[in-house]
Amino acid sequence: MLTDATTQGGSAGSATPGGQGIALEAKHLSRAITGKVLVDDISVQVQQGEVLAVVGPSGAGKSSFLRLLNRLDEPTSGTVLLQGQDYRQIAPQTLRRRVGMVMQMAALFPGTVADNIAFGPRQHQETIAPEQIEALVGRVGLPGYQDRDVSHLSGGEAQRVSLARTLANGPAVLLLDEPTSALDDASERGIEALLVSIIRERQMTCVMITHDLPQATRVAHRTMILEAGTLVAIGPTAEVLHAR
Amino acid sequence: MLAEVLDSLSRDVLGGFAQAGVAIGLCLVVVLLCRRFAVHVERETLISLLRGLAQMALVGVILALLLQRHLLVGGLILLAMTGAAAVTAARRAPGIPDALRLSFYSIAAGAGIVVVGMLATGSLAPNVATLVPVGSMIVANAMNACAQALERFRAEVTAHVGQVEAGLALGADPAVTVAPYVERAVYASLLPRLDMLKSLGLVWIPGVMAGMVVSGASPLYAGIYQFVIVAMILAASGLTGLVVMLLIRTRVFSPAAQLLLRPAEPRPLASQASPGKESR
Repeated sequence: MLTDATTQGGSAGSATPGGQGIALEAKHLSRAITGKVLVDDISVQVQQGEVLAVVGPSGAGKSSFLRLLNRLDEPTSGTVLLQGQDYRQIAPQTLRRRVGMVMQMAALFPGTVADNIAFGPRQHQETIAPEQIEALVGRVGLPGYQDRDVSHLSGGEAQRVSLARTLANGPAVLLLDEPTSALDDASERGIEALLVSIIRERQMTCVMITHDLPQATRVAHRTMILEAGTLVAIGPTAEVLHAR
Repeated sequence: MLAEVLDSLSRDVLGGFAQAGVAIGLCLVVVLLCRRFAVHVERETLISLLRGLAQMALVGVILALLLQRHLLVGGLILLAMTGAAAVTAARRAPGIPDALRLSFYSIAAGAGIVVVGMLATGSLAPNVATLVPVGSMIVANAMNACAQALERFRAEVTAHVGQVEAGLALGADPAVTVAPYVERAVYASLLPRLDMLKSLGLVWIPGVMAGMVVSGASPLYAGIYQFVIVAMILAASGLTGLVVMLLIRTRVFSPAAQLLLRPAEPRPLASQASPGKESR
């Protein structure tokens, strides 16, 4: 759990941030495609400032679940409340700005690092000052990279730019779809440390898919386990993972 | 009228069939050569040759009949050709909703505007005998442009699902996320026509000019008129490519700005992903 993970060891996930309200709530969320159930009636609440890890075997529906939270896919039934508001009442473009997502693969746009970071704000007729871009690039550990062409970046660097690009929109909730799984060990630990510090610094609400259980222990307040699209366990990370 | 039609059909028909026989004989020699190198195209070639001859003979009969008809009939024939062209073009766009209807609108818009423009400026004589052959060339090229634009757009989007969805996830409008692929698709649909225009007279002498020269027209005028036709084909293709992309670019998204176009159907849950990796 962010700051406490190293000091509290196995019980790190037991403390959840409280008293600040529910940031995100999935209500009976389901998705099926051509008869195949990908997500089956999942209800979960995520507190403001909480980090919720989603774990489970391959094909358990983790990414499918996450994509429903910013409405990249449409639920077959159920809905999501964003700070109490049904997300179907929010324009998808506005919703996705408030619920940012970092994907497994960075998928940067051709151009420079600065072009990528300015993309989100530009969609809403906002400009992001060069100093702000410089600060963001520095914050994700790539100082001076703003004018670099993204085609020359390593996997780890691209993922950092992807994170900066998402943060440029100022999201209230951050969805992370295994952001470190495609990276080598050194990059993975670097990105994880960066994510932890940024989430803590901005007190962001975060839902993070990981296949790395120790990572869930280090990062998440609570963990939910999915199997075959169904929520089978949820609770403080250490307790849930210990019970498995 | 029937007597005139029969007369036009009988003239030179025997000679034409004899020439077709020689052409078929030459093709069969090539088929035999291929056979020597274990390339077996005998059946396919024979069927294609006979089918092509029958189709062209039928078109000749129809044109002979059309020569006696009103211009409106020519317009209706072109409309039917546009329908058939839309069916062909839409086959290149599996998974894109409304592809058939939108292809029809696009080809009709591209070819229609150009044909009407040519009629209005006198570049195209207002008679069925000219309207149908020239119009069909323009419709056929508009169809190719439409099909090429659709195919390229589909291929680009399915190859860049990650970037399209990254754009959507950052709050972009669907049209913005596919804008680079729209540009590439329109360019790809125009490229063959641009090459055609560049190579005009250098690499090939197209049919209209050849036909005019054979029928006694001034070669200079025939050349210039051929340029006009190819330029109009380029214009019709460009218009069609643009219109089909403008119509189709947001059809690959749901009303909630979700990308509907996928490279393949999702696999069953049990076999979805490699160990340690999640996929949808």
